Amino acid sequence: MAAGPIPILKIGATLLATIQIELHDTVVDSFQNDVLEQIEKTGARGLIIDISALETVDSYVARMLANTAKMAKLMGTNTVIVGMRPAVAATLVRMGYYMEGITTALSLEEGLKLQSNGSEPTDDERS
Amino acid sequence: MQQARQPNYMEILKLDDDELRKRLAFYELTDEDFKRLNSLKSFADRWTHEITEGLYELIMGQPESREFFPDQATLARVKKMQNSYFLGLFSGTYDLNYVRDRLRVGMAHERIGMPPKLYLGAYRRYLALIHERLLDHFKDNVTEATRALESIRKVIFFDMALAIDTYIAAYLETMTRHQAAIRELSTPVIKVHDRILLLPIVGTVDTQRAHQIMETVLVQVVEEQAKVMILDIAGVPVVDTKVADHILKTTAAVQLLGGQTILTGISASVARTVVELGVEITRMHTRAKLSEGIELALSIVGKKIAPKTAHAGGEGA
Repeated sequence: MAAGPIPILKIGATLLATIQIELHDTVVDSFQNDVLEQIEKTGARGLIIDISALETVDSYVARMLANTAKMAKLMGTNTVIVGMRPAVAATLVRMGYYMEGITTALSLEEGLKLQSNGSEPTDDERS
Repeated sequence: MQQARQPNYMEILKLDDDELRKRLAFYELTDEDFKRLNSLKSFADRWTHEITEGLYELIMGQPESREFFPDQATLARVKKMQNSYFLGLFSGTYDLNYVRDRLRVGMAHERIGMPPKLYLGAYRRYLALIHERLLDHFKDNVTEATRALESIRKVIFFDMALAIDTYIAAYLETMTRHQAAIRELSTPVIKVHDRILLLPIVGTVDTQRAHQIMETVLVQVVEEQAKVMILDIAGVPVVDTKVADHILKTTAAVQLLGGQTILTGISASVARTVVELGVEITRMHTRAKLSEGIELALSIVGKKIAPKTAHAGGEGA
């Protein structure tokens, strides 16, 4: 579907982007463009970004991911970031980067479950 | 005692060809020394027995060193080993196999708990004994005797360095093992239920421990694919801004992974401190008691604890 280096697949009403390569600045920009274009084109209701292959995520990439999620939200698409590695989470938090307001899931499966529930309030918001 | 796998000291001490070359160079062991030592083989054969006896005269003469050789059988065995050690000094080849053999000697001494002071002290007597025999061997040619002694001294110091390195490496190994054990004990993650983990935190939380707690929590959450991690702080004596901050960070990191945390064991005084310190913990689930935390965790994974009713099962009263 997408021409960029990161494939974006469509499963039902959900887009799935699996990031398998280290994100350089240029890749990051084109990825964001590709994702938003695909949302526009397909009218997807959900977006899952799988970052389980990423061993490092710097603040720039983290911000880009958060921003992409915010942009998607403006277009009516809920984003779930799945598969973050423990070391990545620890580093981000230590840098003071909490990615607030971003939905996350432990695995792709969990992410798909969240999306198929229409990304309605997650368990934590319900309590 | 169980026979634990022997650590590979060759690897730990990074003893490869390059290191061997450096060591030989530093001890100024040259081909000339090797040749001289090799030519002293007959001398070695002739005197090894007497030198060993002289050495053990010193060792058995002092109560502190004597206790390492409790019976005749042990003594006979080590004397035999001592003889072959002595002959080894004159083998003429000082390669990695030689080093490996010397490390074994060091390990043996370390294992029986022979302190370095006795080990080094015995070497002093050893050198004196050799010196005496050399003067005898070379008759009155003091120059030759001195040269021979110097070559032997080089090899012996080379050997001693290897043995001491083994001692130090063995101590470090033990220490690392203990530290790992302590670390493991300080963060016991318990699986409460499917996808629910519990970490009771007991004792003071300093920065190092906080890091380790976060690391363990994150790895466990991913490994168990846990939706909920309960942190019970009933056993933490003082909760100050720092501790609160560490807990907040851990919570945030767990959320990044896609899990949640529940903080339990919050006493009245902790609640007061946290609010008075102005720590923002509204973002996390908190409960006073662990049992309440477990109930909340179960509700998050879509389960609940229900009272057993009469019609629920036959085995009730």
